[in-house]
Amino acid sequence: MDIETVKERAGPREFSPADDLPREYREAATRMIQFHANSEVMGGYLDKEFTRMAPSLDRKLACTAKCQDEIGHAQLLYRAAESLGVKSREQMLDELQNGQGKFLNCFHYPVDSWYEAPMIDFFVDGGAMRRQATLKNTSWEPYAHAMDKVCFEEGFHVKHGEDILRELMRSSKANQERTQEVFEQWWPRILQFFGPTNDESHHDDFAQQVGLKTVSNDELRNSFLNMYVPKAEKYGLEIPEYPRIFERDDGTMAVREDDLDWDEFWTIAKNDYPGSEEQIGSRRQRQEAVSWVRESMDDWETGGGRAAAGAD
Amino acid sequence: MIWEVFRQEEPGDRHTHCGNVHAPDEEMATLFAQVQHGRRMQTNSLWVAPKEEIGEVDADDTEFGGTTDKSYRWAITYNNIDASFAEEVAESEADQEEHAEKRGGT
Amino acid sequence: MEPAEAELFRLADDEYVLAERYTEWQIYAPTPESDLALANIAQDEFGHARLWYDLLEEEYGYDEPDLLWERDPADFVHSTLVELETPEGDWADTVVRGYLYDAAERLRLEALEDSSFEPIADRVPKVQGEEEYHREHAQSWLDRLTDSADSRERVQAAVDQLFPHAMTLFAPTVDEDEILDAGVRSRSLADLREDWLDEVVPYLDSLGVAVPDPEDVVRPEPLGRDGSHTDDWFDLHDEFTASYRELGFDEPAELRGENA
Repeated sequence: MDIETVKERAGPREFSPADDLPREYREAATRMIQFHANSEVMGGYLDKEFTRMAPSLDRKLACTAKCQDEIGHAQLLYRAAESLGVKSREQMLDELQNGQGKFLNCFHYPVDSWYEAPMIDFFVDGGAMRRQATLKNTSWEPYAHAMDKVCFEEGFHVKHGEDILRELMRSSKANQERTQEVFEQWWPRILQFFGPTNDESHHDDFAQQVGLKTVSNDELRNSFLNMYVPKAEKYGLEIPEYPRIFERDDGTMAVREDDLDWDEFWTIAKNDYPGSEEQIGSRRQRQEAVSWVRESMDDWETGGGRAAAGAD
Repeated sequence: MIWEVFRQEEPGDRHTHCGNVHAPDEEMATLFAQVQHGRRMQTNSLWVAPKEEIGEVDADDTEFGGTTDKSYRWAITYNNIDASFAEEVAESEADQEEHAEKRGGT
Repeated sequence: MEPAEAELFRLADDEYVLAERYTEWQIYAPTPESDLALANIAQDEFGHARLWYDLLEEEYGYDEPDLLWERDPADFVHSTLVELETPEGDWADTVVRGYLYDAAERLRLEALEDSSFEPIADRVPKVQGEEEYHREHAQSWLDRLTDSADSRERVQAAVDQLFPHAMTLFAPTVDEDEILDAGVRSRSLADLREDWLDEVVPYLDSLGVAVPDPEDVVRPEPLGRDGSHTDDWFDLHDEFTASYRELGFDEPAELRGENA
């Protein structure tokens, strides 16, 4: 198939491993899905902190289940990416470990308090769900299938995140103030979650032309605002003055793109931010520490394994 | 290695492909599949099969159902005979009609 | 303390602390598949802890803060086996720990099946249902890791380190006689220990892993069962209660459904 045909045929779930797709499509799809998979893993690094911090047994259980879901989603997504025939799962995991793998901006900022839990578990996850819902219409079928499962599972993440926020904002004044502080720190990062503004995104045009992406970054960002600003306000959070959010003629909300710090964003996109080094470094260290297990399993597999558990 | 996983929802259902797991052998594959594919969705049984053992033939390789007219093997052809005398015969005809639409003809 | 109450604390604390250590592996496990499997086991164990803590609430009037968040760490009675820090990257430690614990747990649960304390007997089948996967999981890993020399060495090191602590699984408390007399548990810890040794020693032996002679094992000083613990525990306790203390909520949040 040539690229023109791909663009003509582009539509929901249109392409599958049975199709002979041009390299450009397969690389673009791999890049997109790999980024998504990496983000699930790196998001996990933040979420696992919350499991240890959880202030009730049930919250702890919900947090650990969420972490588990994230790794499960990563597994699905690496598989969806692998099916394009450009990179193996192992390659993508190696790239993540050695700093080449890209992932969501929000996960380049380490966390250290429970007050940050709703920022990730409600707002960031809410943004992710918004985006994932639109990806059910992506043109790469295995990716769309993965989204079916992801969307099925993620509902509880966002609801739990909201519950955490509710609990915080209905407790002591000190907690409310602290949550507000943390919200102000995270809000710009959350808005940048949807990626660069339409003007500045390089890969987006092609991704939309071939149906990989069905909604633009700006559209996603604005639909997120329409849903989550009222929620934030419901719980007593004050939306910071900057970046400026305004109402458009059709009553929907939008943000002033140039109020956001895109320099920081692009530094992060290159994995050059201090937080990036910390998180990736942590990943590398942890994965190296268990590489012996993978080697042992490989040996077992190629050795045909023991016929039966018996003495040497 | 990669193992493809197939899930049966309720006893009596067919197993349907639901994803894969990476595992060094069949036993580990079943242990992992249980968690990954049987955790939330209603599951009565899971199969795992090595990906490389799964053969495939698809519409590019062959003409499924053939190309020449084979109407003689479909009940709907025999439309000068009334099937309503026996429920099961009528049902078979109705089912075939439905699938004929999916196949787009022959 | 009532005998059933004492037994419940042992059960609940063991499961809770073990689960905390298991969850430390999330996102760090060798492969996504192994990550998911261990996370599932951790959730099961937290779930079991919750079953037992719930009984302490229902039958003996405790509440969650009494049991976890505001309880003196020196009142916890779990075995030291479950509290030890897992060295970084030491998957062998976790697998050995799981195996030794799960083997003991199966025997313990069997001895509780016909408990004179009905609420315990009622809940045992639910726990047993999940524990089977845990045992299979641990054994599958042990079978494979001990197949090559390098990883077998790590398993050996883990057994050397953990075995003495595993003995505290069976260390009795002052309530032991009453627990048996009242029929809360049908078999003594000493008997369970014998059966456990009969099972784990030959199995590990068959994998080429040497097990220290129980008679020669120097008991670790903290027993766990009497409230004395290693520093690892006190550090862990501090960590998992820190946010609770900082937040000062009126009550810990509950998220239950029809399966509770």
